[in-house]
Amino acid sequence: MQNIIKKEIKYPYLSRPVIVYERECGHKIVLAQKEGGLVNVSTWVKTGSINETDSNNGISHFLEHLMFKGTNKYPAGYFDKTLEAKGAIVNAATWKDYTYYYVTLPKGENCKNLNLAIELHADMMLDPILPENELGHPFDINNPENVKEKRERHVVIEEIRMREDQPWTKVYNAVNNAMYTKHPYKRDVIGFASTIASIPRDTIMDYYKTHYTPNNMTTIITGEFDNDEILKKVIKEFDFKGRKNFQNPSFGIDMPAQETKYIENKAQINTGFVIIGYLGPLACNIKENIALEMANIILGDGQSSRLYQNLIEKSDDTVFNIVGSDYYSFKDGSNFFVQANFNPEKKDKALELLKKEIENLIDRNISENEFNKAKKRLKAEFAESAETVSDISENIGYYMTVCNNLELVEEYSEILENYKVEDLKEYIKKYLPMNHAVVSVLMPEG
Amino acid sequence: MNKIYLNNGLPVILKENKDTPRISVCLYLKIEEPEKKAGQYSLLNRLFLQGTNSRTSEELAQELDENAIECYSEMKCDYIRFKLLCLNEDIEKGLEILSDIVQHSTLAEIEKEKVKLNGEINAELDSPKAKAMDAFYKNFYENHFYGNTYTKVLESLDSITKEEIKTLYENLLNNSSKVISIAGDCDEEKIKKLLNKYFEGLKNNNKSEQKISEPELKENKVIKIEKEDASQAQIIQGWKFPTIYSEEYPAILLLNTILGSSGLSSRLFVELRDKKGLAYVVRSTYETFNKAACFSVYIATEPKNIKTSLEGFKIELDKIKNIPVSEEELENAKNNLIGKREFFTETNLQQASLTGYHEDKGLGYNFEKELIEKIKKVTIKEIQEIADKYIKEPTVLTILAPKNYLEIE
Repeated sequence: MQNIIKKEIKYPYLSRPVIVYERECGHKIVLAQKEGGLVNVSTWVKTGSINETDSNNGISHFLEHLMFKGTNKYPAGYFDKTLEAKGAIVNAATWKDYTYYYVTLPKGENCKNLNLAIELHADMMLDPILPENELGHPFDINNPENVKEKRERHVVIEEIRMREDQPWTKVYNAVNNAMYTKHPYKRDVIGFASTIASIPRDTIMDYYKTHYTPNNMTTIITGEFDNDEILKKVIKEFDFKGRKNFQNPSFGIDMPAQETKYIENKAQINTGFVIIGYLGPLACNIKENIALEMANIILGDGQSSRLYQNLIEKSDDTVFNIVGSDYYSFKDGSNFFVQANFNPEKKDKALELLKKEIENLIDRNISENEFNKAKKRLKAEFAESAETVSDISENIGYYMTVCNNLELVEEYSEILENYKVEDLKEYIKKYLPMNHAVVSVLMPEG
Repeated sequence: MNKIYLNNGLPVILKENKDTPRISVCLYLKIEEPEKKAGQYSLLNRLFLQGTNSRTSEELAQELDENAIECYSEMKCDYIRFKLLCLNEDIEKGLEILSDIVQHSTLAEIEKEKVKLNGEINAELDSPKAKAMDAFYKNFYENHFYGNTYTKVLESLDSITKEEIKTLYENLLNNSSKVISIAGDCDEEKIKKLLNKYFEGLKNNNKSEQKISEPELKENKVIKIEKEDASQAQIIQGWKFPTIYSEEYPAILLLNTILGSSGLSSRLFVELRDKKGLAYVVRSTYETFNKAACFSVYIATEPKNIKTSLEGFKIELDKIKNIPVSEEELENAKNNLIGKREFFTETNLQQASLTGYHEDKGLGYNFEKELIEKIKKVTIKEIQEIADKYIKEPTVLTILAPKNYLEIE
């Protein structure tokens, strides 16, 4: 067998270490043992909106749809039908830093179904043909009457339409766009209908060839199986035939807003929506990430959070219907969001109250109870992410793709164990001052 | 898996899963009386986390979050279900809080909860899909408890009193049938001791009387909802179907799998999405209550596609009624359904939830196993018969779209 670098990682709440193999070509394989009848097979590709421009925005996600449209060996639909007939859940997802494809299914007698899933999954990942008749011909979105046959371009355009009807998505897209000066993260992952309608098949194929390279791909198998056999099987099926590697550009953290930015849009709705966004640390900076994860728990996650208690439970004036916060890690810098749904007649008061709560997080002391709660919750999240084969794979995929390093899982537990409230305060001050905030509001028309 | 009884007769279904870090407990309280005003049970359900004799709502929230304990309740017309999920080390704390919430809620914050519920419903109804679904179910189960959707609740919420909620609560505590289900790394003797300690006062009445009637659907209904800025039309069409208690239940699940719920290879997905490019989401759904069930098809599509989509539905529904499915398609659907049921019962919480659900319905905690065997035996003829017997008028059709697209026959 070719030279393979092997590393063992201690993964919380799993009885056996997770093994990471790196092949000479750069392709990574991760095998995780979890007792039970279900197995998960997935491959994570290091591309998403991070590699897009204004002219091809949405191409990563469109390609994700088209990967299911057949290979030289099997026609469109064969993959879905064959695996779903074995009881599989089959799907894929595209985000800023990655695109991933997964199959979860009962492994079958002697891992028969697992082996079949690896075969078909590898074939799909390495040999997509993106047939023109499945894509549909390129067309002008302003002259759709000329289209004779609607195909996958239209499916994606319907997905875009669906999102246009969701108020939260609208208000999120506006905040996301305004949070960045130049980073590609500013674009919505799904792109625009006009681009999806007109982008030629060959442009998509070129994009596939550029980014779906061995060093950009991590294949993860989670379940109960013989490690050596499955390793051999994955290596055999993932034959890259000398495919060239691609070095992803690094953009680093974009510059946060220097003065609070305010954006307001309108829609045919009856309530008001707001998201306040901040740029956060690089995903691989575990220490700073933990601080913002804790800030999220203390400020706005759950019924004991400050936002919920102060703005809903203890408020004698009904300003808010929903209020909370969220935190998402990305390779080139994370996002911290405070979001709320409010009574539109009380918009000014709503914004003022949210601002006060965020400022209080910096100025008002974090209590020992709040700190300990955050710590315990983060520990419990590891237990939660070790419960299903899909969650384990997803967590591993995140570390391998977004953080570039699964060893950070071990590091995370250590850092969390020794975390100090002073660390938390320092990073909150660094990342969440009001002048770095971008405020996006969606109000009823008229 | 086994069934034990507490000293007070309360049944407990126990599924031991060694070496799992979080344990899950579900408690089902059966609802046997319809609510007199839409929203009464929803309100009661919300008030369970809003304070007990010894804990304020804030203390409750803090204690749960500080211990990373998830504890909440859900109202699903036929039952209120409490779910508890915590690290193994915190099980006693979790059970103590659960028992407090169930038995000693004060219901004091009713006026505040009414305001909160009103606000949350209004926020939810800003989603066109939620709005369309609301209209569909309200009309499908018209004049019945099952049809008390968001908009019905908004109509009656103001008039609900604390006395009414208190009566419902006491009735549930004293007169309803109950079951506890547990999945996780738990020792039977240990857990039994804890349950006896904390749930001793909870009465189980397994002879309670079912007062919810069977809803009727007598005529076709077409509901059109105007939304001028909608990018997509929301279309839902449904038919009244037999429930989980029917002998036909396994075949209905397979019909649903074949037609529109098996993921990327179901007929609706392949024909309306892959081949016609009409939608991103197109599917069928089967949802059963104790007294009635609804089988429906759903699509979200560009408004000018409404007619084509309805025709597409008709073609697929006629096909499954008139042409027998192939041996292969049926076999694939069986494997798909069985595999998917395994997927959706992977965690302790999912397992506790499902065994308790079946036990609460009186189907027995082994129902899942029996169901799988019955699914394997369903024939081609049964699929066709069921489609033919139940996918027929009366039917309810709901369409949400900009006004000028709604002017269709």
